[in-house]
Amino acid sequence: MSNAAHRLLWTVLALLLVAAGGAASAVGLGWLPGGGAPLLGAGPVTWWRAGAPWSVLAVAVGGVLLALLGQRLLTAGLRVPGRLAGTLTHPGDGGGRTRVASEVLTGALERDLLRAPGVHRARVLLTGPVARPDVWVEVRLDPAAGLGVARAEVDAAVRRFAATLGCRPAHLDVTAVVDEAEARH
Amino acid sequence: MRTVNRIATLLLAVALLTGGALLAIGALLAAAGRPGPLVHRWYATLTTIRWQDAPVRAVAAGVTLLGVVMLVAQLRRWQPVRLRLAEQDGWHLHRRSVERRLARAARAVPSVRRARVRVRRHGDTWRPRVTATGDPAARGDVEFALRQELDRLAAPRPGPIEVRLVPARRAT
Repeated sequence: MSNAAHRLLWTVLALLLVAAGGAASAVGLGWLPGGGAPLLGAGPVTWWRAGAPWSVLAVAVGGVLLALLGQRLLTAGLRVPGRLAGTLTHPGDGGGRTRVASEVLTGALERDLLRAPGVHRARVLLTGPVARPDVWVEVRLDPAAGLGVARAEVDAAVRRFAATLGCRPAHLDVTAVVDEAEARH
Repeated sequence: MRTVNRIATLLLAVALLTGGALLAIGALLAAAGRPGPLVHRWYATLTTIRWQDAPVRAVAAGVTLLGVVMLVAQLRRWQPVRLRLAEQDGWHLHRRSVERRLARAARAVPSVRRARVRVRRHGDTWRPRVTATGDPAARGDVEFALRQELDRLAAPRPGPIEVRLVPARRAT
């Protein structure tokens, strides 16, 4: 799950908590009717007794569904985010468009980036139209590497890539992670 | 906040998994005429306590407050993961890695031991804030070391560097 997905989940849950807590407070304070009624009124108890065995089955199925939801959430939460696969698009003659898998292209650019001094890991993502792709790059730099040199090398690699592919990147976004390990003197 | 969210999601998942399984088992046991003591206690409480009772109102107020706190925490602006290097060239540095590099540079100053650095960006300038243990007289050296490191990182126009040096407590 991405950070945005976690944030959305907890925003929705927070809204639900505010709504539920606010409604319960309003009933308890007498702003809404029903303050004198017990939390579990006669209605649900009657439904449980009269609806047996289907009411039991419904609650058991509800429990299983909740458990399954928890299991799915746990799996998603524990999954290490894998490689994002970017997709390039090529507009067709008619109304449609062709989706172009970009793994081969990103692999080529990554290999070129890894040849730059100081770059020991590179990830590339390409999105958008083939002729004007958005290029997203993440590079990990050795602590001893000068950022200026690495920037020049990465920019040159992207220019070579664009020349080979015959495209003009619409947008280049580079994130450099500078490793913390001691510089080797 | 990102780490807190991830941990909270895992806890929620475990709670849903356990609660759902217990609910299903409890329902089946109740159908078989063998409801556990927990179900009996909950049933007795839920059918007697009223919405206007003080404990219910307190719990409702707590839930509302928790929801508001969570909402504020999610909706406020989070510190960006990356620091922009220049206005238009699309280059960014990973904030945590910069902070670790700067902390290492501060620790390299003689007499400075522990160091923690936070970098904030104001417009086009970076404003590092250093909290370190060491001789307060080394403030200038720490600032110099950080400026050198920022220069190596090609940081855009470093702003004022805030250095807080706490003298180390002597061993008794």
